[in-house]
Amino acid sequence: MVSLANNDARDLDVPPAPRGRRYSRARATSLATSFVGGSLVVTYLSLIVLIPIAALVAHGLSITVQTNGWGFAFWHWDVHADLSAFWSSITQAPALHAIFLSLWLSFAVAAINAVMGVAIAWVLVRDRFPGKGVIDAFIDLPFALPTIVVGVVLLVLYGTTSPLHVDLFETWMGLMLALLFVTLPFSVRAVQPVLASLDGEAEAAAKSLGAGGIRTFAWVVLPSLWPAVLGGFGLAFARAIGEFGSISLIAGGIGRTTTASSFIYNLTQAFLWTDAAAVSTALLILALIVLITTNLVARQIQRRLSSS
Amino acid sequence: MSISLSHLTKRYGDHVVVDDVSVEIPSGSLTAVLGPSGSGKSTLLKLISGLERLDEGRVVIEGDDVTSVDPRHRDIGFCFQHYAPFRHMTVAKNIGFGLRVRKQPKDQIAAKVDELLELVKLPHKADAYPAQLSGGERQRMALARALAIEPRVLLLDEPFGALDAIVRTELREWVKELHHQIKVTTILVTHDQEEAMDMADQLLIMHDGRIEQSGEPNDLYDNPATTFVHDFLGPTTSFKDVTVRPHDLELLRAGEGSIEGTVLSVTSLGFEVQVVVQLSDGSSPWVQLSRNEFRALHVGVGSAISIRQRG
Amino acid sequence: MNHTTRKWSLRVLVIVYLGLLVGLPVAFLFIKTFSHGFAAFWNEVTKPDAIAALKLSGIVALIAVPVNTVVGVAAALLLARKDHWSARLVTTLFDVPVAVSPIIIGVSLVLAYSRIGWFGTALAAHGISILFSPVGITMATMAVSLPYVLRSVLPVLMEIGNEQQNAALTLGAGRLRIFWQITLPAIRWGVLYGVTLTIARTLGEFGAVLIVSGNITGHTQTLPIYIYDSWEQNYDVIGAFAGALVLASISVVALLILSALRSKERRLHVDIA
Repeated sequence: MVSLANNDARDLDVPPAPRGRRYSRARATSLATSFVGGSLVVTYLSLIVLIPIAALVAHGLSITVQTNGWGFAFWHWDVHADLSAFWSSITQAPALHAIFLSLWLSFAVAAINAVMGVAIAWVLVRDRFPGKGVIDAFIDLPFALPTIVVGVVLLVLYGTTSPLHVDLFETWMGLMLALLFVTLPFSVRAVQPVLASLDGEAEAAAKSLGAGGIRTFAWVVLPSLWPAVLGGFGLAFARAIGEFGSISLIAGGIGRTTTASSFIYNLTQAFLWTDAAAVSTALLILALIVLITTNLVARQIQRRLSSS
Repeated sequence: MSISLSHLTKRYGDHVVVDDVSVEIPSGSLTAVLGPSGSGKSTLLKLISGLERLDEGRVVIEGDDVTSVDPRHRDIGFCFQHYAPFRHMTVAKNIGFGLRVRKQPKDQIAAKVDELLELVKLPHKADAYPAQLSGGERQRMALARALAIEPRVLLLDEPFGALDAIVRTELREWVKELHHQIKVTTILVTHDQEEAMDMADQLLIMHDGRIEQSGEPNDLYDNPATTFVHDFLGPTTSFKDVTVRPHDLELLRAGEGSIEGTVLSVTSLGFEVQVVVQLSDGSSPWVQLSRNEFRALHVGVGSAISIRQRG
Repeated sequence: MNHTTRKWSLRVLVIVYLGLLVGLPVAFLFIKTFSHGFAAFWNEVTKPDAIAALKLSGIVALIAVPVNTVVGVAAALLLARKDHWSARLVTTLFDVPVAVSPIIIGVSLVLAYSRIGWFGTALAAHGISILFSPVGITMATMAVSLPYVLRSVLPVLMEIGNEQQNAALTLGAGRLRIFWQITLPAIRWGVLYGVTLTIARTLGEFGAVLIVSGNITGHTQTLPIYIYDSWEQNYDVIGAFAGALVLASISVVALLILSALRSKERRLHVDIA
């Protein structure tokens, strides 16, 4: 290796830069700002999310802590969770009923909107007709509307005094309508950008090889959409499980149409806070499982798609 | 006055990206750092600018040891491969940015910006936004922006990499001319050997974080110190177990050269013709010759020919 | 089924689905609200309880939105280029309020800060009460609208990368100038989008506030609670619908702004490579 020799002796005469211009000072200020900013964010997060969720889970699992006289030395604390109390809370008949109702309703709704979401996204991306832009903006309406507004409108529209001569008050159909309404944007917006980014080349290739429209869609387009569809499914499912405002009115009183959220609300009105915490914790765990699963599956499919 | 780099070293974990690089860059020259991807050339540029921190070594710019100095204060101009335009500012505001930082009076800034706009031939685009410019125009704006602060050294990181072939050649000529006008010390990083050979006063070939060879472009081409430099700077082919330049092989009629063979393929690239031949010793080198030379031979695929090494 | 038939049947399917699911309720909202004339609507909207509810909603939004904006932008800046697991944990934590029912958020806040919860008695000693107070309502609202700014700013930051900041550095700019003149302008559309979403969410929050507020008419009612109350307690259809229309209109304005922002964002991203 040949490199030009450097005259080191000359460099020794050059003084170092003055303090004010150095990296170290810029770095110190930047580190300090990051530290302060980070602390503020973490403190806020703790106050608003971490501590309340911790309190929720602690009450839900009936966690008791004995400090063993050591005060703040938490490595000596004795933490005990009463899982049997938790279990009996959530396995009471009304609780189970509410949880299962929420589960299957959310699943059905997320599934229906997954299919419709793809159809709607397809029309929005691939089709062209006057007024399409209006429909595009329309999709976000359920997302922007406050849930109570949805609840009140749907109740009066489809409930006992409905001008359409239907009565969906205290029926699963009524609940489903509300849930389909509020989860629609998630399903559509998850798929739309992915569909828009497909450049049509793969489809053109398939058509040139003789594949018809439906086959091209099923074998070429759909596989690339799967991660987005699954992501949208997960979001819609999570939203549906937690939905309260839009279904609380049409669900009516305590009974067959009480979803998990309404059930928890009823518990709080009856001051049964521990039970409320228990069912909430169960729902929290469910939501986590669903989110992690859909994320993992979506990532798996994504990986297979990008490596192939 | 010049730039001295001594024993510059940069590591990412176990990987040594820049390995003990020492170089003198003469004032006012245009130095090209040429190397394949991963050779460390962009990192070297970032180390000189201060955008990356050195693990070892010293950087001295015109007598100032700037090794531990923040990039803000090094008085350098930097141009990025994707231009890094301030998207929300007009071209004029982009160019004047460095001057506003230095708190120069408004009318002075306006005059300087106008001057630079004339220099880079974008006076009609002063109030346009970067989104409305072509790639070549954006890079010219980036150059004007860097030159506005009258830097001691201009660093160009693969400045033509994102441009298409024609614009690239145009801009290359234009930067050369600019450098003639404004004799600012310039260091250009590129992986394009032709570009480096064309533009550089001094050429540094980088490989695996080290400088393989440095010197004048033609000198390196004719007298490569290592196989890497030889293979990197120009086309190569194998003749009698020796690596040679295809244009150093002469294509002759059968019986006139030192070894016999037949023509396997002929590729015509406008002025240049590339002929792959099968020789009697089993090897198949290719020969580079001009169109006229080839036509004068009256040979085609399958013809009998012979080869001789020139000079 | 040939191509045109398929295209048309898909179009019809989509339009019918959307029309019935979304269009019908929205149209009904307008029709019913004004079914007794504009005077009746105006009467309802100007009732003192309604105005009080609107006021409380406004004040809560005025606090929750700026706080969540600052926190969201700060968090986005801090998390933008960190690949560490702690960064992913923080982003996930931000998403919790959105992944979980607002009822659960309300319950968790009560169990942390009210008298029956962890810190309630300690807070009460200093005169702070969470349950049945605007403080609790504000906290609940902050919790449920937490991640929107972060989620819209973070991808923008990740996309624009470091180069503009590096360029500004070499031109002599200090960190503060870079923040104000380079970083913030670059993310402004993302911030605006997130802020609009946050405002819409803040004004419309129902479940969490219901749990935390105790629903005392005129005192701790936000507009959504007022709407609920009008129906549940008084079966006042026009009253409920009037309030609903006001809320819906604000949301629709927000939606239009979002639409405009999205198309602007699309334009910005198409031309710069």
